[in-house]
Amino acid sequence: MTEQRMYPGTGADERTTFAPYSAFEIPADLRELHGRYDVESMARRVRNFRYAEEWTMMILGGWIATIPELPVKTGLGKIVWDAATAADVLGKRLPELRCGRKSVAASESANDGFAAFVQSVAEPETPDLTIEKLAGMFDVLKPHLIEVYERTARETDYISDAPTIELLEDIVRKARRHQAWAGEVLDRLCDTDAKQQRRRARAAEMTSQLEACGGVAGDLGVANA
Amino acid sequence: MKRFIHHSELARDQRFVRQDNAASTVLATLPDDVDTVVNVFDQFSDMIESSVQGTAAEPLFEEYGPAFGLVTLNEPLTPGAPAERQRLAMRLHAIFVGEMQALEGASRSLWDFPDSPWEFKMNMARQAWDEARHVQIFEKLMDHVGCKAGDYPESTFLFECACSEDPALRVAGVNRGLEGLACDVFRDLIRFAEQSGDELLKQAMDYVLADELTHVRFGSEWVKEFTRGDPERFKRAQDFRREVDKQFSLGGARSDREDAAVPIAMQDRREAGFTEEELSELLELSGEGPSRKTLMAATKIIRERHLARREEKRREEKRQQGQEATA
Ligand SMILES: [Fe+2]
Ligand SMILES: [Fe+2]
Repeated sequence: MTEQRMYPGTGADERTTFAPYSAFEIPADLRELHGRYDVESMARRVRNFRYAEEWTMMILGGWIATIPELPVKTGLGKIVWDAATAADVLGKRLPELRCGRKSVAASESANDGFAAFVQSVAEPETPDLTIEKLAGMFDVLKPHLIEVYERTARETDYISDAPTIELLEDIVRKARRHQAWAGEVLDRLCDTDAKQQRRRARAAEMTSQLEACGGVAGDLGVANA
Repeated sequence: MKRFIHHSELARDQRFVRQDNAASTVLATLPDDVDTVVNVFDQFSDMIESSVQGTAAEPLFEEYGPAFGLVTLNEPLTPGAPAERQRLAMRLHAIFVGEMQALEGASRSLWDFPDSPWEFKMNMARQAWDEARHVQIFEKLMDHVGCKAGDYPESTFLFECACSEDPALRVAGVNRGLEGLACDVFRDLIRFAEQSGDELLKQAMDYVLADELTHVRFGSEWVKEFTRGDPERFKRAQDFRREVDKQFSLGGARSDREDAAVPIAMQDRREAGFTEEELSELLELSGEGPSRKTLMAATKIIRERHLARREEKRREEKRQQGQEATA
């Protein structure tokens, strides 16, 4: 009886008897290598996303005191925290993408146009403008971010860049919740034709500004072309 | 959106009424002298009366006059004490609006100080969520004792005092002054809930107090961080906190005195990073206001004068009615 070999030796006939096994082959691993972004361009995107999340946090933080509807105030308090944690995990990915240990707090706008767009989102200030505030943020910026995050997760290397995919998926899961909440709030706030018109007008104005600058990563239109 | 807002710009729905902060400010600096206390309340009588109109505090004003707050808020809260429910409701409402202002203060720090360190922003964002939950908790607790948002006038005194334009002073005021006061108030409510067997209130306060300790700790750390290598600024932050503490002691109502309505939560404050030196300072400055005996004597005079004025008004109205009838 041949003794079962537990460890490989140096000769070809000294192999172990264990059959090859890969968890990824059951079922077969259909993922393919290679994605749209290399490390450098993904790091830039992460800084762009972090910029959007950080400013979302700051803008909502500024608005809370200026919004008279109490459940909106408290609801935004939670979203402020979610935006902060999103920016935080994005920042923590940066040193992993060869940006240096100090890069954890690096945010970068894709271009001046997107930075100007963010400031336009932040513009409505007085207590009578809750509709304009929420429409710019949740009818335009948030859905745009969800779309770009999902596209990025689809287009990057599934194996090599899996950590980015995982964190984007977590952010999107929460962002969808925010959008659903804000959608319901806006539906209730806009209880007349005139108010619905205000919501539409604000969303249209912000959308055209967003499209003109190419969005959070500056490649809106390019990617869809 | 501009940076830094005035406390009068805090947005509220139509349920809320504002109380002029002048009354709280003056109350915070009253001396231990019956005549002065009486004169101050006489002076603010009209202002206080107009701020309670249409609120649940109006009957209290009618009964006790402008110093009804002394009767209700500045007395220790004990189960079975007169007007226990009403006083509990007033206290919960006062905390509820305080939580709202803490939410607004913490979240404004994110907008007001865009270039602050990331860890600071994370702490303020976390606090924004916590305070938002506290607002929701106190809405439920107000419901639990039978009152609701807007039942009493809101003073924006906390926001006004604590929200400085220097981030070191802001965290000293909000996270150490205001949040420290919150620790005292919640520890006292836990005591009340235990005495009255209110498990719902007790557990909610237990969690809220845990959050507040975290917020004080944020403050303790950020005052140090913002003023590192700048003893002048550190001194300004400490002076500011002292000033806020003095005002938030509400004339000794929150102090270590035997007659205090809200005692200082020494153990909790230690855990949150207050030094022994800061605590002994707090004990000293919070105990400086009028004694309970002074306030009681003043309240009695104020009430008598108020009732006399009401009686005089009634007589005057009758006289006029009589004149109209004869005419
Ligand atoms: Fe709180
Ligand atoms: Fe707090």
